Amino acid sequence: MTFSILLQILWTGLAISSYAVLFAMSFSLILKVVKIWNFAQAGFMCLVFYSLYVCLNIFDWPMWIGVLASFFITSVSAIGFFRYGIETLRARNSTSLTFFILTLVVSQFMGYFFAMCFGTEPISITKNIMSPVIMVGGIVISHWDLQALGLTTLTVLTLFVIMHKTHLGQFMSAVADHPTLARLYGIDVNRVYLYTIVLACLLMTVGMYLFGLKVAMLPNTPLQMMLLAVIATLLGGMGQVFGAAAAAILLSLLQSLSVFVIPSEWQSLLIYAFLFLTILFFPQGFSWQTMKSFLGGGKT
Amino acid sequence: MHQKRRPFLALATAVFCLSAFFASMAVAQANDTIKFGLSMPLSGTQALFGADQVKAAQWAVADINAKGGVNGKQLEMILIDTAADPQLGINAAKRFVSVDKLPIFLTSWSAVVKAVAPIANREKVLELSVGANSPEIATLGDYVYTTFPLADVDVSALAQYSHKTLGKQSAAVMYINNDSGVEGANIYKSMFEKSGGKIVAYEAYDAKATDFTGALLKVKAANPEIIHIQGLITDLPQVIAQMRQLGITQRVSSYSAGYNPKVIEQLGAAAEGLIVTSLAPGVNDNPNVAAFIKRWQTTEKRTPNGLPYTQYLYDSPYIVAELFKWIAKNKLPATGENLRKALITIKDFDLPMTGMLEVGADHRVKKPVYLLTVEKGAFVPLATIK
Repeated sequence: MTFSILLQILWTGLAISSYAVLFAMSFSLILKVVKIWNFAQAGFMCLVFYSLYVCLNIFDWPMWIGVLASFFITSVSAIGFFRYGIETLRARNSTSLTFFILTLVVSQFMGYFFAMCFGTEPISITKNIMSPVIMVGGIVISHWDLQALGLTTLTVLTLFVIMHKTHLGQFMSAVADHPTLARLYGIDVNRVYLYTIVLACLLMTVGMYLFGLKVAMLPNTPLQMMLLAVIATLLGGMGQVFGAAAAAILLSLLQSLSVFVIPSEWQSLLIYAFLFLTILFFPQGFSWQTMKSFLGGGKT
Repeated sequence: MHQKRRPFLALATAVFCLSAFFASMAVAQANDTIKFGLSMPLSGTQALFGADQVKAAQWAVADINAKGGVNGKQLEMILIDTAADPQLGINAAKRFVSVDKLPIFLTSWSAVVKAVAPIANREKVLELSVGANSPEIATLGDYVYTTFPLADVDVSALAQYSHKTLGKQSAAVMYINNDSGVEGANIYKSMFEKSGGKIVAYEAYDAKATDFTGALLKVKAANPEIIHIQGLITDLPQVIAQMRQLGITQRVSSYSAGYNPKVIEQLGAAAEGLIVTSLAPGVNDNPNVAAFIKRWQTTEKRTPNGLPYTQYLYDSPYIVAELFKWIAKNKLPATGENLRKALITIKDFDLPMTGMLEVGADHRVKKPVYLLTVEKGAFVPLATIK
């Protein structure tokens, strides 16, 4: 393996990590503010993809209208799920296991529903999945790579500004820390939940748009992709949205670079190994403090 | 007392007579039909393909009956859904054998064919696999035969063609890491090497992968003259797309999974030169195929999912009809043993959709392999290997 091959793998791995970052942040954001492990995200990722597919291929709408329509449909559906699913369980003081089962059931239901509607053959949102390429210093850079990295950077920065520089961001932090206390301070907690869900849907929409331009999809694909989002959320630290993003990049790059040491068919094995190690040794996420604590045998 | 019994006796006699009449009618009707079983996925993820294959078989039964049936008797197909699930396949086979008392049944999907084989062998009922391609099917026992070429047929022919006819001295093999990928890649490798060529890269990829850069760069570094991809329609276009984007320009070949218009649609110009295989003749090889496609377009307003498989399914009731004709001619009872004897003796079948079929004593079939290539955005015939 030459240096140029290493650079190529690093570049492609970074570009591929773009949608993984967005899915991980979406999952982590819901966990941070709404406090649920939202496996239904896989179902809503399906909804983004297939609604975009219908807008572009059946209605022949321009791409930007299709993306907006898909974002709108997904947001409305996700809010409906929150209102009539999550809120109902909360009103009943259901256990976290019940929430987990509900989100998983919704995810599976939506997967089967889209399989029934669109069949089990792979579908891509655009007819042609080829992207033009340019060569920079011996490295192949596709237009898709540039678009993916550009859009992801813009989306992450937007979320960063919202979360750190706006009242909504402050409210989200307050609700995430203590919803009852936040309510006492006059924050409309339900409204904050709704904005959080809409932001999560925005992340999913951008992610699925990028994914759909590159890869053909089956209804069960998002559930497989969710695994990386869950591990990134665990690894980045519970509720650390940008930590999850960094973890998603790290995991994607490690997966890509693993071809130097293990055959490429076993790349997914790494993900499960990370999941196992993270749950066992870093259940609160990976940070210098947890690392020091781990190396010091738990001494403070 | 006697007077009271009379109406009861009259009623009982009438019921008995009517029962006897209907029973004799049923027997007469049963004697006028020849029954066989077909178990296919009509639900679940494979239903898209299974339903079209069943439709093709139903058309064939209707066509045979419209032409007078089998020696004047109507052919009747008993259909059961397997959802491509081995357990449901076993349930279907048990029903064929125990309830319907059928001497022959047809089925497909490798896992189902393998799961029901012990029942066919134990009960001495002929099982015909009509669309599964695992090479193991040839070794499942005395009563299990295939009418569909197994996986090694087209991949072997393709490997030999690449070396001997195209003159490629070195090849790289990329394959999906599942049963069919591993098996197919191994067949290509051994046949290419046996022909005198050299495999310079042999790379697998994960079935769930969306990025193939690592494996592709290894292939690029090996600089083969041709690249064979043993993948599925879910991953094949993406592998080729990423390959072309990485500047890998060598000719690519694949097997029958690549013979799908979606590959050309998704790849556009990047699909040019791709070689794929088909185990059934196309419209240029057999005029019946054009009429068959037209029938789909007229009745269903579309082309079938997996056209070659539907061609094989259309032919399968014709094979059943031939077997029953043979045992009638030889005045033998319709048992699984006699139908097996018929299959081995007849051996050569001339079928409307897939042409000549030779069933070998080794439980394999000999069929021509049709190679196609992508030229100007369409699959065109490249060669026929007999």
